[in-house]
Amino acid sequence: MSNGAPVIDLREIVKTYVNGPIELEVLHGVTLRVERGEYVAIMGPSGSGKSTLMNVIGCLDRATRGQYRLDGVDVSGLDDNALAEIRLHKLGFVFQGFNLLGRADALSNVALPLFYAGVGGRERRTRAMAVLAQVGLEDRAHHKPSQLSGGQQQRVAIARALVNDPAVLLADEPTGNLDSATSEELLQLFANLHAGGHTILMVTHDEQVAGHARRIVRLRDGNVLSDTPAAARA
Amino acid sequence: MMYAGEAWRVLMANTVRSLLTVTGLIIGVGAVIAIQVLGHSMAGAVAGALGGMSDNTFVIFPNPTQHNVQAASIHLRDLSHVASDVPGIAAAFPLAFTTELVHVGHRSGRYGIYADSPISINSTPLLYGRNFTDSDVTSASHAAVISNAAYIRLFPGGGDPTGQSIYAGDQRYVIVGVLQAPTSGLLPPLFVHDVSIPWTTYISQYVHGTTIFAARFMVADPSRIPALELAVENELRALHGNAPGQEYQSFDKAQITQGINGVFNAMTMVVALIGAVSLVVAGIGIMNIMLVSVAERTREIGVRKAIGARGAQILAQFFIEALILCGTGCAIGLAIGLGIGQFIDRVYILKLTGYVAPIPWLSSLAVAAGFAIVVTLAFGTYPAYRASRLDPIEALHYE
Repeated sequence: MSNGAPVIDLREIVKTYVNGPIELEVLHGVTLRVERGEYVAIMGPSGSGKSTLMNVIGCLDRATRGQYRLDGVDVSGLDDNALAEIRLHKLGFVFQGFNLLGRADALSNVALPLFYAGVGGRERRTRAMAVLAQVGLEDRAHHKPSQLSGGQQQRVAIARALVNDPAVLLADEPTGNLDSATSEELLQLFANLHAGGHTILMVTHDEQVAGHARRIVRLRDGNVLSDTPAAARA
Repeated sequence: MMYAGEAWRVLMANTVRSLLTVTGLIIGVGAVIAIQVLGHSMAGAVAGALGGMSDNTFVIFPNPTQHNVQAASIHLRDLSHVASDVPGIAAAFPLAFTTELVHVGHRSGRYGIYADSPISINSTPLLYGRNFTDSDVTSASHAAVISNAAYIRLFPGGGDPTGQSIYAGDQRYVIVGVLQAPTSGLLPPLFVHDVSIPWTTYISQYVHGTTIFAARFMVADPSRIPALELAVENELRALHGNAPGQEYQSFDKAQITQGINGVFNAMTMVVALIGAVSLVVAGIGIMNIMLVSVAERTREIGVRKAIGARGAQILAQFFIEALILCGTGCAIGLAIGLGIGQFIDRVYILKLTGYVAPIPWLSSLAVAAGFAIVVTLAFGTYPAYRASRLDPIEALHYE
């Protein structure tokens, strides 16, 4: 699977929403490639189409036109079940609002994708615990989300995103609900994951946060405005 | 099973709501099972009573409301003709009893003295001794078979009383057999023979005149009873010169059983109706709360789908939740139904019939499990399907 092909390869992606007689084209032919191991921030004002682009990249939505290859697989024409399979094995989602299951402890939250992948109970716990350790929360494995701080909850969410060893980690405003000190810690974690070889795609409107990425893609009105390396950080 | 554990946590997080949701199911299942328990006891009591009645006999008597009762009256002499002329009839004798003061030593009581044959109308097993033999009948011996109740009253010291004498009026009889206690108190008095004597003896001692109220016929093959009843009625008409009118009525175990089965079938229909109504009412409540649950957890469903859950897996989650909800309700209903059924059994049915059926575990479990499965399938499927069809993007942004 890991030939030299880009992990994300979007070509002329057009997304049109149809609502009765009204057609609204949100993406006007976006072409974007992300190579393995890159750390990319996608920026843009609201209405720029970055959420729509994220949904397409995240296989939650299908492009109206254009071709999308994810980790070498053309996902443009896949059905719902096939897309679920792709999300399960090739993508890891981190949301602004953490979106952990409140009733389940950290370990169960992290193990959930493994359950959907059909991994047995014992292996689920072992693997989930290993990933929790990776984000520094092995001693919080049996805490409920309500017993964890925002930063810790987001770490659990990151562990959940990583547990199936995805090709890309998709983060949508991951620090949006966190104070600046916690945000810094979390961004450090992303940096470490990047250093460890993970491919990260992050949507943010915060220049400070985007500055942690190695490459910034700016969108405006459904087009790529600019695609530049981020300033190197100390 | 992770679905089940998760579903249980969800339901227990809303204990009161979950309990209220399944109240209808609890009442429905409880009512059906309680009625089932009572029905079992009643059916058992009746079966016990009928079990005490011989398969090999039937009774014929003139229809008392007919125009010319006189012409139809059965004469003593008719019986020997029927016994010899109708193939399949082993014996024919009067259905008759008389009441006498019976005593043994100082103990006494008023008991019915019944005419009977080697095959008794009462098939209750023997505690001591033997039934009549053919020679008891042919020789019109003074042998007696006594009931358990009479035995206990007349022989308080217990022990085998066969060979001892009892006195009925001015006649002396020798006890040859003692019956066991009947299993059911529902046995009609006509079939509880306190003192039986051979029918030939009965005729010579107690029958005066020539017409009798009703006749009993013994047969070797119970399956031929309906045909033999007709044959005997025709023979009686012929013996009376085929006078116009002459209507007879017959009476046998199969007829009684049929009548009682009709009552039980009607009862079963009522129970089924209660079940069906409560099933629908309970199901609608469950469907309602499952739809609420799906709506409340739209965001959770979105997250699950985003991290890779397939529609079928979401469907399974909510379906199993509905199944556990229904299963729990039915289990509670099962317990309550058995409890109420047992209570009424012990307090009322036992007094009424002297018999209580064992708890019908298998059919009760079948009813409870059947309710749970049917309600889940009928009313849990749609909410689960709706959850599985949610669009992940919309679900994720649901507030």
